[in-house]
Amino acid sequence: MSELRFDDVTVRYGHLTAVDRVSLTVPAGQVVGLVGESGSGKSTLARAAVGLAPVSGGRILLDGRPVPTRGRRRPLQMVFQDPYSSLDPRMSIGESVAEALPPGRSRDERRAEVYRLLELVHLDPGKAAVRPALLSGGQRQRVALARALAGDPQVVIADEITSALDVSIQGAVLNLVRELQRELGLSLLFISHNLAVVRYVASHVAVMRGGVIVEEGPTDRVLADPGHDYTRELLAAVPGSTPSSRPRRTP
Amino acid sequence: MIRRWRSVLRTPLGIAATALTVAVLVLAVVAPILWTDDANAVDTGNILAGPSGDHWAGTDNLGRDILFRTLVATRLSVELALAATAIAVVAGLVLGTAGFVLGRRPGRLVSAAINIAVAFPGILLALFFAVVFGVGATGAVLAIGFAGAPAFGRLTQTLVAGIESRDFISAARIAGVGRLRILVRHVLPNISEPLVVNATIGAGGALLSFAGLSFLGLGVQQPRYDWGRLLFDGISSIYVNPASALAPGAAVLIAGLAFNLFGESVAKGLGVGVVGGIPALPPVVPTLVTDEPLIEESHQAGTDLVLDVRDLEVTFPGARGPIRPVRGVSFAVRRGEAVGVVGESGSGKSLTALAVSRLVGEPGRVDASRLDLLGTDLRARDSRAQRQLLGTSLAMVFQDPMTSFNPTRRMGGQLAEVARHHQGLERRSALARAVDRLRSVRISEPERRARQYPHEFSGGMRQRAMIGMGLMGNPALIIADEPTTALDVTVQLQVLDLLQAIREADGVALVLISHDVTVVGEVCDRVLVMYAGRIVEDLPAAALSGEALHPYTRALVAAVPDMDTDLDQPLAVIPGRPVDPADVPPGCAYAARCPLASERCRVEDPALVPAGPGHRVACWHAGEPIDIEIADREEVRVP
Repeated sequence: MSELRFDDVTVRYGHLTAVDRVSLTVPAGQVVGLVGESGSGKSTLARAAVGLAPVSGGRILLDGRPVPTRGRRRPLQMVFQDPYSSLDPRMSIGESVAEALPPGRSRDERRAEVYRLLELVHLDPGKAAVRPALLSGGQRQRVALARALAGDPQVVIADEITSALDVSIQGAVLNLVRELQRELGLSLLFISHNLAVVRYVASHVAVMRGGVIVEEGPTDRVLADPGHDYTRELLAAVPGSTPSSRPRRTP
Repeated sequence: MIRRWRSVLRTPLGIAATALTVAVLVLAVVAPILWTDDANAVDTGNILAGPSGDHWAGTDNLGRDILFRTLVATRLSVELALAATAIAVVAGLVLGTAGFVLGRRPGRLVSAAINIAVAFPGILLALFFAVVFGVGATGAVLAIGFAGAPAFGRLTQTLVAGIESRDFISAARIAGVGRLRILVRHVLPNISEPLVVNATIGAGGALLSFAGLSFLGLGVQQPRYDWGRLLFDGISSIYVNPASALAPGAAVLIAGLAFNLFGESVAKGLGVGVVGGIPALPPVVPTLVTDEPLIEESHQAGTDLVLDVRDLEVTFPGARGPIRPVRGVSFAVRRGEAVGVVGESGSGKSLTALAVSRLVGEPGRVDASRLDLLGTDLRARDSRAQRQLLGTSLAMVFQDPMTSFNPTRRMGGQLAEVARHHQGLERRSALARAVDRLRSVRISEPERRARQYPHEFSGGMRQRAMIGMGLMGNPALIIADEPTTALDVTVQLQVLDLLQAIREADGVALVLISHDVTVVGEVCDRVLVMYAGRIVEDLPAAALSGEALHPYTRALVAAVPDMDTDLDQPLAVIPGRPVDPADVPPGCAYAARCPLASERCRVEDPALVPAGPGHRVACWHAGEPIDIEIADREEVRVP
């Protein structure tokens, strides 16, 4: 179990400041939800953590040490939004998972490990040779989870992992995330624009807007008693939340 | 994969090109073995002779048979062309992938170099290299090879850039896989098809270039000869014996055509270019089997029907017979009513909407026993009156507002076009109406906004402008297909509120298609739940939570977490996967995923029957209690 800490992190693309001096901590073994609209910088923050976006200021620390973004050992793993783009269509799911395994094992050990990981995400290990094209979106997302876990990470970042899925499948993936997090004691940064989903998964929540974190705290506290106007606006916009209290124009 | 290669051979052009290519390659192998002696036999008594029984294409200035020489030259010509192509491909691959391997900054340098090299004409480069490498076959091979490299490098670079942005490359990088390894394992396999195709076409080009260089005297030198050399020799005696130039010329033509056509048919067969080979739908309209009882319920009677759809079917041709994603959908929408359509992706909900608005294009086909918009039969042939009706009475709102507008035209003009086309308004008054409509969809400063381009609008604004476009006429019905899926929750709220307001103000009916049960439940009066191309339940929106009867509807509602979901319980899930429209099982399509399914469900498809006021359901076990349990394992089905 490890703690992931963003310390005064800034990410700039040219003149655009996508993430502006953000400090955020994912405590060891906890789930932190990060909500915000598109363009708020939440995905950029995640990509910066795994080395896919340039950090122009601040530090990203894992247990007090900089997150390694080179070499074979990667204790910080990420699951992407679109399971149709995050698996190589030319590779079997077993190969995709095996690729992320740390080096230095025999062929049999690797195969056994792939089987164990597929089993862990409730996929039939006998189908390790299947190409992603034969899997549904939810099943692909399970493979993506298994691949992230293959690197034996201490922290996992889940970037909108259910938004590309049908609602009927979303539930199963969320159940799996909760189960894995509890069983493996993972620290998890769960990024989503859906407050109801974040509420279900995360114990802490941070609200991001315009590259800045505007509110942060325990999920039940933030959702019950939001301190920032934008959080209130987000809460009011959740469909099916409190339709009667919402002002509606009359003809 | 093999099936796709086989499909290359299915077209007449594919067969001809393949046969021709094989013939050229076989000739290249056997001709020198069989005819070298004949080709080198000097007959001084018969120099520069015309075609005769002994020498079909005549003889050259040493009396050697030109036809045999042309045949024997096949090997050298093809060899040189293939060698040059190989050089072009390898050099191009190195150039094109250098950017990916080296990283951003050095990559930019490489691509700048490619851009400059591509700008030079190929033949100029070839001449330049020919001077550098010296006159002769080796120099010519290198010259043509390196001259072809920039174009190939550019292609590779473009293809790599397309793959590079995909998430699986990022995932591999996060997993600590090195760049070179990613290139070999992930990038190259995914771009190999277009590369192979272009290499084949490139071989044809190299063949022609070679003939050109040899013809100019820069290629193969005496005593060796290829087609270009023969052409060079033959052209000098063309007035004495035309065949001496025509024979090698024809060889170049045939071989060049063979390679080029083969490359193109491979491109077609592998789907790089135009997709072909799917049989068209049979022209005969199948007789409609009305297995649903004609619904003559109170809520469908009366004259205030905006939309009346019966037995709607949408069919597409498939490789293994027709595919029917919409299989007999019947519903009606009254004036001012909001009807939601929910279902998973592939349930046919969007196609139903497209069929109603006559947007299902070739090769799809729409059948219905009734398809009436405001009492007008939409099944009739496309006519001006019908377009007028659809253009003014029906408004469509699509999921992605960015692609719904022409990015090169101002918003005001795009909206005004509707009024000019359908209502015959003057340019000025049409524009005034556009501004007015933008204002009505709550876009601030509509005069200024109307002069802006789509990219200057935010996503939510574009979606509202799209709704405004629909309001240019006097719509009786708005069909919104996932109008808020691409939007943020706060913006989603604005758009839904806007739709609601328009509905209440003008009595416009709304069909809202969404995969999100909560959105539909909040906005609509009535909800149609679709599964595998059918309506499985039609119920009042208020009945969604608690009174839904179909197990699928109940599972859909339970699967979505809301702000009151019990955090200690796992979410309800629907095991299995949606039905593939190409492979719909007999009986109830949902049976394989349904906890209530019995033997009857797997054999007999339940009809949509009334189940209380304003409630229809298609299920043999409607309303029976379900023990919600979590599927332990997802089955991976391999077809």
